[in-house]
Amino acid sequence: MSKALEKVMDAVDIETFLVCDSEEEAKKISIQMMNELGFSDASIVFIQHLGPGARVRVRGYIYKPGDRYNWFYNKKNNS
Amino acid sequence: MTSQKKKVLLAPLDPVHDIGLKMIKRGLDLAGHDTILLPPDYSPEEIIKAAIDNNVDVILISRTLGYRVAEILGSFIDLAEASGLRERVKIGIGGMAIKPELAAELGFDAGFGPGTTVEEAIAFVEGREYIEEDRGARKTKKDITEKYDYTFKNKRIEKLLNTIADEIIEYVKGKTTPGIERAKIREKMFESDDEAELRQLRKEYAAFCDDIVKAYYANGALKEKTRQLTSEELQALKSYLEKVKAKMKPLILQHIDTNPVVFIQYGTGCPFMDIAHIKTCEAWGADGVVHFDPSWGARTEGFYEGFITHEEDGSVITYENLKLIKDALMPSTLWQVRAHRGLNTPETVLLAGKVGADLTKINIAYGSLGGGTDPERLTVDAVAAIKYAARFKMPFDVVTNEELCGVPAHKAFAGMLIVTMLGLKLGARPILQPLFCYSPEVMISGQMKDNYIDFNAAKIFALKSILNAPIWCGAPIGFLTQTEDRVQSSLSTALHASLASSLEVDGISIASADEAYSGGPISAAARVDTLRATQSAFRFFGHAKIIPTENSEIWASQIVEGIERTLESVVKNGSFVDALYKGLLGSREEGAYPGRAGRGTVKNI
Repeated sequence: MSKALEKVMDAVDIETFLVCDSEEEAKKISIQMMNELGFSDASIVFIQHLGPGARVRVRGYIYKPGDRYNWFYNKKNNS
Repeated sequence: MTSQKKKVLLAPLDPVHDIGLKMIKRGLDLAGHDTILLPPDYSPEEIIKAAIDNNVDVILISRTLGYRVAEILGSFIDLAEASGLRERVKIGIGGMAIKPELAAELGFDAGFGPGTTVEEAIAFVEGREYIEEDRGARKTKKDITEKYDYTFKNKRIEKLLNTIADEIIEYVKGKTTPGIERAKIREKMFESDDEAELRQLRKEYAAFCDDIVKAYYANGALKEKTRQLTSEELQALKSYLEKVKAKMKPLILQHIDTNPVVFIQYGTGCPFMDIAHIKTCEAWGADGVVHFDPSWGARTEGFYEGFITHEEDGSVITYENLKLIKDALMPSTLWQVRAHRGLNTPETVLLAGKVGADLTKINIAYGSLGGGTDPERLTVDAVAAIKYAARFKMPFDVVTNEELCGVPAHKAFAGMLIVTMLGLKLGARPILQPLFCYSPEVMISGQMKDNYIDFNAAKIFALKSILNAPIWCGAPIGFLTQTEDRVQSSLSTALHASLASSLEVDGISIASADEAYSGGPISAAARVDTLRATQSAFRFFGHAKIIPTENSEIWASQIVEGIERTLESVVKNGSFVDALYKGLLGSREEGAYPGRAGRGTVKNI
């Protein structure tokens, strides 16, 4: 995990507009985009396809409750 | 005036914008300084000339447009130096296009970016250090029951409630439950520091628990997906909190005194993530936090002990876990521990009171019709719990979530008012908590076909016409109107917050922007979204009101009539507990099912 991502409290949301033909296509692109960005645990929070494309909000969890949060244990990260 | 009087030239180095400078001018005038405000669109040369002609001490320049900003400001400073002004006059620059780094780079004495306060500019003029207001110090804990005397305006309803509450008090006499016995033993544990006695008390306690909890008291075993936190983790929490507490400068959500206090709900399962979210919400202005425990906890007889984390939703109730949360809170934060629906209701209120919670939550009707607990069991437990709430001077809200099962508002309100009257008779301070949402009743009957205002307003009008009591809209407001879109979700929350404020209620519970998202835990960012939206909505409306249509008054009358009819049927039935089983306060057809957890556990002493 990158040093920057260690400072994320729980999740990273990517919000954008995808040029695509359908919601199904938008879903595939969204997950592919997150995987390419290095988020293996990605889920779609919001998706709406109309006309030229889809408004999406995709989430990659860095930490879920009960994980070992680096921002919590690493003193440098708390400073 | 606290410093030497200064002569200040204020000049917008901008074609049109000068609002910020006008605000600063007003502040400087009030502080006793001499000010000269030039009109917009002056050239740097004209501004320098005006400064020389008027022999000013300070120049404040503003620039809103980003176009050519570095070039224009650089040219201004060059001119100021060439004219000899720079050596004897302080020059500050502010505005939307200004970043402090740019100002320093160009040679200005100060740069004020967006969000700069008038006080900050005055401090610069007066040559003193600007000390930011400690907003945390301004936040005080609010008792939302304080201004209410619980006078009944509807005497007919008061009489009916008196009859029912007296019957309940009589009914529970001579009865006990495992939940009540555990609470009594827990109290003895609090009073004892003798290890041998504590061991004995734990044995007695375990005897009233389900097997899963008995195992803990026998050999320390916890159920799956729960574990004790380590000392290293607890030490890390201490370090984390020390650093975060030192940095807290909380926002204030309310724009006017009558805006309600705003609660958020937490319960990630992990006390550390809970605390991280709580501190985030406090920083963004939340006034109160509500503890959500796991659903299995409500259906299990007995509590564990120790610092326990849980891998699923709901944070485990133990004295130690609650203490961790309590110690993390700002002094001004209201803290509620819910005790409304399970088999540990008396002990939950006891623990909450002992740890120092401000509020709890108890409702027999909801807990036994929508929460899964046997009506008789919860009635006996709730009376004991309300007595603890009274003893710890801990107001409790009477939530009406059975509406979410499909119970119509008037029946849910009848149940709420019964528990409210019971609370008053037992010396407690109940808070009415109507659902402020898109409930199944209105989905079916269509009262929200036109708008989300009228029926919610009708509920508040109805309750206010019955008695003078605090109202805390829940939970969360706008439930079932939010979608996965965070903008829509935040807007819907903010509009419901505004409506609640317009109706002059005392508190609201808000969701995060993740309210409708079920794919994973709520994120901290989603919590910030709705807090910011709520603050913005309070600012937008101020003292202005949202005006419901005439339907709200019609429906308010119907709700009151429905409450009366329901209470009459309970009185006629003779037994409140029996009325719950019979569905008089919410029937199976409506979606309310008398709970089974704890059935047959009430004993005569």
